[in-house]
Amino acid sequence: MLLVARRDLVEFIRDRRALFITLLMPMAMYPVLALSSTLGVRTALAELEAKPPMQLTLALSGPDARGFARIIAELDGEAGRQRPGWPATLAITMVRGSEALALLDQGQADAWIDVRSGMLAGLEAEGTVPLEVKASLKRPTGRQVRELVDVVLRAVADRARTQRIAKAGLPASTLEPLRIIHMKGLDSTRTADRGALLSVLGAVLVLLALLMATGAFYPAIDAIAGEKERGTIETLLIAPCRATDLVTGKFLAVFVVTLATLAANALSIALTASVLLRLLPAGTDVGLPGRMAGLGCVGLTLVAYVGLAAVSAALCLAVTSASKSVKEAQNTLTPVMLLVSALAGSALVPGAADSRWLAALPFAGQVAVAKSAFAVATRPGTVEQGTIAMLAGSLAVSLMASAVLTWLLLRFTATLLTDEEILFRGPDTAATGLRRPARRRLPTVREGLATVAAGFAALWYSQGLGGDSFPRMLLAHQAVAVVLPLLLVTWWQRVDGRDAFSVRLPGGGGFTTALLAAVGGGCAGGGLFVLGAAALLAFKGTEMSPGMRVLAEQLLALVRDRPWWTSWLLMAVMPAVCEELLFRGWVLGAVAGERPARSRLVTANVVQAACFAAFHLLPERMPQTFVVGLFLGWAVLRTGSLLPAVVGHIAHNSMPLVLFRLANGSGSDTLSVESAAGLPGWSLAVAAVAVIVGAACLAATRPRPDMPA
Amino acid sequence: MIQVADLAKEYRSSDGRTVRAVQGISFTVAAGEIVGLLGANGAGKTTTMRMLATLLRPTSGTARVAGCDVLTDPVGVRRGMGYVSATTGVPERLTPRELLKSYGRLHGLDRETLDHRVAELSRVLDLGDFCERPCGRLSSGQRQRVSLARALVHDPPVLVLDEPTSALDVMGSRELLDFLEILRGQGHAILLSTHRLHEIERRCDRFLIIDGGRIVAAGDRESLVAGRDGGLEEAFFAAIAPGAGV
Repeated sequence: MLLVARRDLVEFIRDRRALFITLLMPMAMYPVLALSSTLGVRTALAELEAKPPMQLTLALSGPDARGFARIIAELDGEAGRQRPGWPATLAITMVRGSEALALLDQGQADAWIDVRSGMLAGLEAEGTVPLEVKASLKRPTGRQVRELVDVVLRAVADRARTQRIAKAGLPASTLEPLRIIHMKGLDSTRTADRGALLSVLGAVLVLLALLMATGAFYPAIDAIAGEKERGTIETLLIAPCRATDLVTGKFLAVFVVTLATLAANALSIALTASVLLRLLPAGTDVGLPGRMAGLGCVGLTLVAYVGLAAVSAALCLAVTSASKSVKEAQNTLTPVMLLVSALAGSALVPGAADSRWLAALPFAGQVAVAKSAFAVATRPGTVEQGTIAMLAGSLAVSLMASAVLTWLLLRFTATLLTDEEILFRGPDTAATGLRRPARRRLPTVREGLATVAAGFAALWYSQGLGGDSFPRMLLAHQAVAVVLPLLLVTWWQRVDGRDAFSVRLPGGGGFTTALLAAVGGGCAGGGLFVLGAAALLAFKGTEMSPGMRVLAEQLLALVRDRPWWTSWLLMAVMPAVCEELLFRGWVLGAVAGERPARSRLVTANVVQAACFAAFHLLPERMPQTFVVGLFLGWAVLRTGSLLPAVVGHIAHNSMPLVLFRLANGSGSDTLSVESAAGLPGWSLAVAAVAVIVGAACLAATRPRPDMPA
Repeated sequence: MIQVADLAKEYRSSDGRTVRAVQGISFTVAAGEIVGLLGANGAGKTTTMRMLATLLRPTSGTARVAGCDVLTDPVGVRRGMGYVSATTGVPERLTPRELLKSYGRLHGLDRETLDHRVAELSRVLDLGDFCERPCGRLSSGQRQRVSLARALVHDPPVLVLDEPTSALDVMGSRELLDFLEILRGQGHAILLSTHRLHEIERRCDRFLIIDGGRIVAAGDRESLVAGRDGGLEEAFFAAIAPGAGV
């Protein structure tokens, strides 16, 4: 094992180009990056200091908006202007609630406040009045804008407080028992935001993880794919030792180079940081931890990253062990490294580091553990024993997970290394999956899931296609994320559309069966919406996430401002047809395959329902969409036709429209989940009966002959 | 030294067909004997040799090399065998001396024995001129000699050589075959495959002619060419002609 490691190391060290790229290039890169970023920071600080106070435009809506605007205008004219941080120019725009979001998105207002009825009276009376300030979800809201809004609203609150005090007959000094006066000279240092320091540290930790992983890139490729290309792998395999010993020896060589890369990068970062700190403006306190705490953090980071070095080395070996040439190995390993980058970066997502199990995830875990350590060390005050124990626990989980993953990857590599098919097959076969196959009935599981993955990517890119128009956005989503991937894959893989999408009449055919299935699907779809909405209300109340609220408001505007049939086509018919083709047609057929057993059918149904739920992106919608997906999948498997699923989906998506029309008669201005809140209890019973009747109708349909009963 | 009985190898091709590369062959190679394995491309020579070298797992049948079974004791087989194939390469950034020492250590040779063995092989195979030069700078003939030295470094009783002369010129081939005759004299069992029949016609003790995964003719030169005009080449063509067989 050690002999193989030594032999590989000697070979790698003599490859000067790889050695330069792996070890020396990062050391040259850091100073250049640091110098440019330092200059950028200095320029930004200078600009910040020279920047004049900002302007603020507030959009107000609601019944009490005019009275609220009057109060702000009074404050802007007198005492408010003397308050520190008051905006240089304060503009107020009166808007309708439905227009406010568009105004924010277009940048014509910085924030929107919906001043509900009774708010002004509430300010004068006792108690606390809730006030929601909304910003655009599409445009970034600067911290300064938020601070300006807070200054204005605090002034409104102070005014109300003073009035309440006066009304109670108390002197104004009641509110100010103590006045703090900062003497000059005490505020001579600029203290940077601790969050900013942690963000920079997080980015550096991700960079360190990635550059360290690239240290395994070349030696791993050379260790197995290079040996195959040079024709030396056979001579190694006939050495009198087991394949696992050979792989472990090769792993040790790659691991040593990866550790050397880690050491070189860590040293470069430390030296660069020391230079960088000297370049910052004099007196700037960036909030670095103390000497001991800092050393502790660096030590913990290095220990965690040693585990990551092992995982990187084993991963690179495993990925390249199936390649026959260096070029093929590079082509395989490059996308893996990109995925690994995404994984490491996921540790920086706000709130991700709070997850206890993140430490077990490779790349993300090590970054999260190191970042947590630095977060604790830079926090003011003494560190508690419990926090240190928590960090030690996370480090132990990370190391344990790294060891287990490394072992599994090495076992996998040993299996691949001696695989006869891989060892002696012909030239590069990596592109086999891209060949057009012969015509066939159903897609493969890989094609089914790849289409969903392509749809997810397209969902992201289609966001920019609709502009500010919600109907255009709906069209773009369905066309780009569903229809386009489906058309391309169906054509390229020569799949028969009729079978893949279950485009046939239910059961054995016939008008009565089709009608029964359609009625069943429709009843169940409508009923499931009402029950799902009621369940959501029961668990979460009317509180919505920002994303859900925006969606509800956009749907409301669509229903209110467009003819009913346009809304119906956009909200119900179009998504139902497109999504049913993708999930209950393509994905369900792909995972179930031809002549499936019952267990395979259950798996296929769960997989397509999970994909369908995930496709709706908003977490609070996922449970309901998952259940609906399961039901519609069962309907397709039962009848062998997409018809009941399409009708059921249309009925499901039509319910918000129906509820809005019903609620509109009673003067309500809300939609979907909130509409369901006003439903009487008997409507839930009707919905439950509709689901049961729907299921009974579908069950009464003759099952597809090639499906297990 | 080599005992093969009903050895067969099947694999599945990329279009799903089952290919029978070797179909139940049996033969032996004794100590102090050179046996030539002859056959056209795709006849099953390399597959047979790879099974003996434990690189491929037989589908059925048995094979013993230097007293060890290829299935139950592959490490023992590798200890007792030296293997060189036409596609065998050498590590480009190691020198021949480093390569030989590295493989010698893998076979458990101590430092003194290894130094002696490397010096002996350098002398016999004439590696002296380029023993300290990285293998990447050697000619194909020099590389082939290094490969052979690598296969011999642990002094194995059995040698399996798959087209060892394919990269060599006439002089190189003659030197290598002369060396194999010396090894035979020392009691090594040698299984050798080549397409250059004239080179080995008078050097091998016996021949096995393989076609379509079956041994279609076997015996010494005299018995194979008996009754035919021409030498081994004519006997080979006659053996692999349609309808011919043992």
